[in-house]
Amino acid sequence: MDLTFNETQEILRKMARDFLITECPKSLVRELEDSEKGYSPELWKKMAELGWMGLIIPEEYDGMGYTFQDLTVLLEETGRNILPGPLVCTITSTFPILDAGTENQKKEFLPKVASGELILTTALLEAEGTFSASGIAVKATPKGEDFVINGTKLFVEMAHAADYIICVTRTKDGASPEDGITLFIVDAKASGISCEVIPTIAADKLCEVQFKNVLVPKKNMLGELDKGWPIIEKMLEKGAIAKCAESLGGMQAAVEMTIAYSKDRVQYGRPIGAFQALQHMMADLWTTMTTSRYLVYEAAWIESEGLPCAKEASMAKAYVNDAYKYVTRWSIRLHGGIGTSRDHDISLYYLRAKAADTAFGNTDLHRELVAQKIGLI
Amino acid sequence: MDFGFTDEQIARRKEFSDVCKDLAAKRPAEYVGFESAYDNEPSWEYYKLCAKEFGKRGWLTLDWPAEYGGSGTMMDRVLFSEARGYYGVGGVDVFGIGMLAPTLLAAASEEVKKKFLPPIAAGDVTWCELWSEPNAGSDLASLTATAIRKGDEYIMNGQKTWTTGAHRADWAFGVFKSDPEGRPHHNLVFLLFDMKTPGIEVRPIPFTNGTHIYNEVYLDDVHVPAENIVGQENEGWAIVNLLAGFERSNIDAIMALIRQLEDLVTYCNVTKRNGQPLSKDPLIRNRLAQTACELEAARTLAYRVADLQNRNEMSLMDASALKVFASELGERYASLATDVAGPYGQVKFSRWAPLNGLLEAMYHECFVFTISMGTNEIQKNIIAWYGLGLPRMR
Repeated sequence: MDLTFNETQEILRKMARDFLITECPKSLVRELEDSEKGYSPELWKKMAELGWMGLIIPEEYDGMGYTFQDLTVLLEETGRNILPGPLVCTITSTFPILDAGTENQKKEFLPKVASGELILTTALLEAEGTFSASGIAVKATPKGEDFVINGTKLFVEMAHAADYIICVTRTKDGASPEDGITLFIVDAKASGISCEVIPTIAADKLCEVQFKNVLVPKKNMLGELDKGWPIIEKMLEKGAIAKCAESLGGMQAAVEMTIAYSKDRVQYGRPIGAFQALQHMMADLWTTMTTSRYLVYEAAWIESEGLPCAKEASMAKAYVNDAYKYVTRWSIRLHGGIGTSRDHDISLYYLRAKAADTAFGNTDLHRELVAQKIGLI
Repeated sequence: MDFGFTDEQIARRKEFSDVCKDLAAKRPAEYVGFESAYDNEPSWEYYKLCAKEFGKRGWLTLDWPAEYGGSGTMMDRVLFSEARGYYGVGGVDVFGIGMLAPTLLAAASEEVKKKFLPPIAAGDVTWCELWSEPNAGSDLASLTATAIRKGDEYIMNGQKTWTTGAHRADWAFGVFKSDPEGRPHHNLVFLLFDMKTPGIEVRPIPFTNGTHIYNEVYLDDVHVPAENIVGQENEGWAIVNLLAGFERSNIDAIMALIRQLEDLVTYCNVTKRNGQPLSKDPLIRNRLAQTACELEAARTLAYRVADLQNRNEMSLMDASALKVFASELGERYASLATDVAGPYGQVKFSRWAPLNGLLEAMYHECFVFTISMGTNEIQKNIIAWYGLGLPRMR
């Protein structure tokens, strides 16, 4: 047991922190919230040069060949700086390709992801808003050498900017909802696809994507016909941990900002941080962040070791969802009036806490998964 | 970052688990919860049996220096603690093993170490801690009981309170005013003495459930040999602070809760209400799962504290955060477990009680962890002042 970062991770962390402070000021974050694109192609290019999109892509596909745990170290920093854009949706969309892609698919897509040439996203949710297979109604039907996709996907992150969409479709009404799910790597610019950005709390460009008779070649099927659900489950598991790492960084920033403000702001002739009512609240926020931290690190380690991790991933996501919201809500409270202004950075974190909570499964979903894993029948 | 254990540690853990599991099978029915060891005769006999067994195996001294009988590492001690907590086995004196022994190792004279450490290592003696007084709780430095030097003795007078297990203990350590006129924090002495010394009177304070855990201890001209001092006269406060640093990872209490949740899951799976097992109730599922997440958070933070201590890098704020979080989790767990059992949640150890009365027992015992060893409010001060650098209370 050694619960410290190794040298590679320390270097990665420091580089990412320094890079983001310079390249992604909060003024850019606000600008991108208001923009149509939602990301900066210029910044994307610089991140690609640092190898971020290809961080865990093996070297044989032009990636950096780092571990999953290393990835969470990076994401803690991007979350700390609330980096906008398609980094997380691109990386998490490489998980199913890495896990279930054919050699040809890996060769076709992964090097271009690593170089920053391709933006990926995954289209999972539909009208019901459930993360379970029962919510998948978008149909894919075979037609010659292609499949034809019809239906509407929702909350597809950065779909308007994506080059390829991993689309989760129903190809059969099987014995169970999980039976009959198939994944396709769909060209986002294919004919029949239309895309509209949904106005969401963190302006993170979640889209409605309509598929009208969209043709996708059979060779772009990811994994086996009708047997795609376990690939998505695995992606959700890794995605949950990745999201937790981002949230952890966000919590760290919010706590630091709040403590600094409380030392600076004077009322009744002394810094408000001298008042015990506020001190105990801040001790509580620090504790909430710290209990989150090692839960996330443990899940990242288990995942990185290739051990079964579904329980720990769900435990982390269920816990961190609430923790991030709690920490940022109280950070605003401790700032008082100024904290409620969009012009103050702390408010940006509060919004992202809600967005992070929804991504890869909310608290109740993950608690139910935990309930199953701890043996409740 | 590596949460894994070495093959050697895994083997050690299995050894600890096997022995604790065997001992758990011998636990008397009256032994309900952490503190009941002190309450009744069968439980106390069992506690001493466990202590002897662990002493014989050298497991009470795993992280001691080899010259005093150490036979392992700090992480071995953590693994042993986990096994003991999980199987609900007593026998490790929280005062003698947990607090006094490391204090003696760090600060006592060679004579004191030689005299007091071997019986502690063997599991032969039980200690109690004469700390709080009626008007000195969190503000311990304002205590008034005295120990005045007279020749080669100290003469102790005054009243101590909330003394866990004083009625069972063979020996006591305590802190007293050695110079009532001296300046604060430089007027105290830390002494060791036999609880059978004339002039000591122990009176029970019934716990919320009526069990006998705590005591008042009255001292009336109690003579203690001056050689039983730890540290210097008038500098006992340094020893108080040193001792407070040793009681930190809490992993046994966390593992005990993890085990209790496992038992509660089983209870919910087999207990029917409204025509279906409790486990089918979505609210119960949600609450139990939430607790499981919080327990895992506590367990991983305990590893963090242990990992730091293992590298001699104690972090006060991590240890305090863990103490606050785990103890409050214990209170929430007690509330949850007694809720889930419905009307049975209020039943004391008896034929009607689910899980041998442990649910009801937890409803009482949860306070032990939030209030003792530095209240959670004091811990939050520590986090705020020493960790977050916020201004100290004036």
